[in-house]
Amino acid sequence: MKTILMKPMLKRSRKENENLVGYTLLAPWLIGFLVIFVVPMAASLYYSFTNYNMLRAPRFVGLDNYVRMFTQDDSFWISLRVTFFYVLVMVPLRLAFALFIAMLLNTRRKFLGLYRTFYYIPSIVGGSVAVSIVWKQIFGNDGVAMSLLAAIGIEQRLSFIGNPDTAIWTIILLGVWQFGSSMLIFLAGLKQIPSSLYESALIDGANAWSRFWRITIPMLTPVIFFNLILQIINGFRVFTEGFIITDGGPLDSTLFYVLNLYRRAFTYFEMGYSSAMAWALVAIIAFFTLILFKTQSSWVHYESKEGGR
Amino acid sequence: MNVGKRSRVNSLLFHALSMLLGFFMIYPLLWTLASSFKDNSTIFTNAYSLIPEQWGIIDNYVSGWNGIGGVPFGTFILNSFIVASIGTVGGVVCSLMAAYAFARVKFRLSGFWFMCVMITLMIPNQVMIVPQYILFKKLHLIDTLTALIMPWFFGSAFFIFLMVQFIRGLPIDLDEAAKIDGCSKFGVFYRITIPLVSPAIVTSTIFSFYWIWQDFFQPLIFMSDTTKFTVSLALNLFLDPNSYSNYGGMFAMSVVSLIPVILVFLFFQKYLVEGIATSGIKG
Amino acid sequence: MTKRLRLPTIMAFLLSVMIMISACSGGTGNSGANGAGSASTSSKQETSSGTNAGSGNDNSDPEPVKLSIAWWGSQTRHDYTQKLLDLYTELNPHVTFEATPSGWDGYFDKLSAQAAGGKLPDIIQMDYQYIATFSNNDLLADLQPFVDNQTLDLGRVDENIVGSGRVNGELTGIAISSTAMAVTYNPDVFANAGVEAPIPEWTWEQFIDAMTRIADNTGKLGTESLIDTQTFSYWVRQHGQHLFKEDGSALGYEDDAIMVEFINMVKSLQDNKSMPTPDERAQYESRGKEAMPVVTGDAGVRFDWANFTVITAGSNPNLKLVTPPLKGGGENGLWIKPGMFFSVAESSNHKEEAVKFINWFINSKEANDIIAAERGIPVSSEIRDYLKTSLTPQQQDMFDYLNVALQYSSPIDPPEPSGFAEVSKEFIDAVNKVMYDQISPEEAAQNFRKVANQILERNAN
Repeated sequence: MKTILMKPMLKRSRKENENLVGYTLLAPWLIGFLVIFVVPMAASLYYSFTNYNMLRAPRFVGLDNYVRMFTQDDSFWISLRVTFFYVLVMVPLRLAFALFIAMLLNTRRKFLGLYRTFYYIPSIVGGSVAVSIVWKQIFGNDGVAMSLLAAIGIEQRLSFIGNPDTAIWTIILLGVWQFGSSMLIFLAGLKQIPSSLYESALIDGANAWSRFWRITIPMLTPVIFFNLILQIINGFRVFTEGFIITDGGPLDSTLFYVLNLYRRAFTYFEMGYSSAMAWALVAIIAFFTLILFKTQSSWVHYESKEGGR
Repeated sequence: MNVGKRSRVNSLLFHALSMLLGFFMIYPLLWTLASSFKDNSTIFTNAYSLIPEQWGIIDNYVSGWNGIGGVPFGTFILNSFIVASIGTVGGVVCSLMAAYAFARVKFRLSGFWFMCVMITLMIPNQVMIVPQYILFKKLHLIDTLTALIMPWFFGSAFFIFLMVQFIRGLPIDLDEAAKIDGCSKFGVFYRITIPLVSPAIVTSTIFSFYWIWQDFFQPLIFMSDTTKFTVSLALNLFLDPNSYSNYGGMFAMSVVSLIPVILVFLFFQKYLVEGIATSGIKG
Repeated sequence: MTKRLRLPTIMAFLLSVMIMISACSGGTGNSGANGAGSASTSSKQETSSGTNAGSGNDNSDPEPVKLSIAWWGSQTRHDYTQKLLDLYTELNPHVTFEATPSGWDGYFDKLSAQAAGGKLPDIIQMDYQYIATFSNNDLLADLQPFVDNQTLDLGRVDENIVGSGRVNGELTGIAISSTAMAVTYNPDVFANAGVEAPIPEWTWEQFIDAMTRIADNTGKLGTESLIDTQTFSYWVRQHGQHLFKEDGSALGYEDDAIMVEFINMVKSLQDNKSMPTPDERAQYESRGKEAMPVVTGDAGVRFDWANFTVITAGSNPNLKLVTPPLKGGGENGLWIKPGMFFSVAESSNHKEEAVKFINWFINSKEANDIIAAERGIPVSSEIRDYLKTSLTPQQQDMFDYLNVALQYSSPIDPPEPSGFAEVSKEFIDAVNKVMYDQISPEEAAQNFRKVANQILERNAN
């Protein structure tokens, strides 16, 4: 508590010191940011106001790309809808699953390292050709999923992957299946909770359920917050799954926003329009991220009170 | 007695379910492994079978390891390893430094810079790659491994944000106590914070290595010289939808290329188990 | 902590950093964005003003030249192409290569980025679908002068095939192989169903009849699919019209009934189970070509290119080729298509050396000993004759097929217009919507016309 008393005296010199320390620590990232990100970001922002096919110099067209996007391009709205649906369904499912498994693995049992490895593996084979082939097999019309349904009495020849009503669900399932990285982050968060907290709760006679709600969840909220923000951002930017498995089809039912944007840029040679789509996406994601950041003071529990933003 | 029995049943149930789930999780890996031993023409016709007609067919490994146009596959692995290692070390260190600054230091414009961090996370690479290519071309970095390392080396938003969250979850009293003991900000960072956020550091290392390892788009655009190709790029060279593809070789090399990633995971994940020194912080 | 960000200061700072970076390698000082554009447009002047030493007089004295070359393919192609380049260097020690092999995925992504950066490889393996787009943006060199001065000898190449590389009157692509649309059929499936094997004279009526009988008699599929833009283009040509207008600015056929008729035929095949539904088809397409139903004996025919049996020979060596069905009283709809081109970048400083290599690739026997028709049927008639003895049975079939196909062919349409990829996707979606019973064939045809014309118009300017 002495520190608090000392603070007013030190305030001025300390502030200068803080600036120096802050920028020294930030310097490497700042250099990288200025060299590698700022210029390309500015360029892509500029392209978004041009007609640019990459093969020829960009031609300034003002707001044309944005106007076309909002008023003439059905695929923009389709892909926006598909992506929102994906984010709304996949993110909660994946996080809940990841947290559940992380809790299970945060115990003292045998083979935990093995299970952790198994559950993380989907995250490292996720974008591979093999996954794309296996997934199409499982959810094809003579796939394992169909056999399972037949076993419980639903006999129907249908390809989940090839049907516009069901294809998105196979991609959602793929997303949930790759819960490994969220799980690792939860595990790391759980490891950080001081065991002394649980010990004193045990002394107070709290049962497992109340320990979970009164200690684990509050202590984990910074990590939950992180996972939530990141999964939402990554959810909006989902690309690989739709690219390798359904290629946006059937009938645009898995046409994710970034897949649409990628096609515009590299298949249809509309980099200008694609850049406009990208910045619209940034605006959308930033909006939701900002809202979440605003809410965090009401539910995210930080040990340190300083530096809230 | 009764309690012991129940816990044994519980434990059995736990392991049974875990194994079952585990099987679903690693099925594609098993499938890749099986396919890597199959003859090219039977990979798809007998796609359901996890067991090749005969084990020990290493032809795929031989043809895959021969690589592309006289460049052995080992070269690609080495390139990926260099890029992923340097990129990971630099990325994790720089991210950690930036994260500490954001979480614990009050410096001017920190809010603005944090916003910049988040925006780099939101913009799709697909529209960044062409301007980045042009920029690297001007810097004469095209066709160098440096071009692949650079985007990761100075820290990435994901890890910065991750570590910010972990650092802010640490009790501030420790910092204050250390300061009274005469530690500078850097001292606190080095002696207190780094050990305490090691789970986050380990997690970041695992992710970073894998993400750089599997990145396809950047090597695709930045690399023209075959001897500087990375693994992900090389795997793509086995396939062409309009001519005869060497699927067997591709799957064999997929297996080989997963080994370093899994090794990195296995090596670092044990630090997650041990959960370094979290007791005795409070009270 | 002062929260007042002085935004103008920050912006000014960022701007100066940007300018610094974009100017630091001797650029003109404009931002990265503008730098990109000016680099690609100035490439034309660059070559004429001569940034390299030997551009003026490199036809005789063997100054060392490094040619960059890019192609797509699979491992086999990469390996022998590397051998080919080594051999060329052995024969012409002053020429070395910087080779960039690629898979098909991402090949044109990379080319686009390189074009944006102002420097394409000297020699580019080019596809029919992209040549118009690249030519229209002045990225590919007109090689006609090299034909005129005999550096490039196309004397043994069919004029139709040579012409397929002309865009807006400029010869920007040299076809290095030819192919044609073909129906691959599985003779065993036909025999088991008691259906006689198809012959080149078969009509669409006989085709439908055969497909239906295969499905009825064996429960297997008649055809894997018909829903692709190439088949539809063939269909339109049989009606004496063309899918696109000559200049690529709009659809080339006037009557929507042509498309309606096509959809009705496809739908009837799907309804009588001789063709799979779109979701069943998605399942097949997820496998490699080696495991397509026609290869595994689960379907009678497949519409593809003439090299299909060569690709799948390892899985099923018994497949045969036949020309697609004829329209009674219709016109010859087939066309001999360039399999792939070699193009030379307009930005190249070594155009002549690049053309010499292409000439060697097309005409030299020692080169073609190594290539062994892997890129498709060689365009030179002399090379075709030369290779005849060394072909695999499937390659022999492919060569023979092309001679048959020639009799049912008419001149090829101009290269696919910019925007083709998007039009193609819209076509498949339009037909599939009928297959899912979402809209009527008439609506599909009308919608497709409207959307396709929009896309083509947008790309035309």
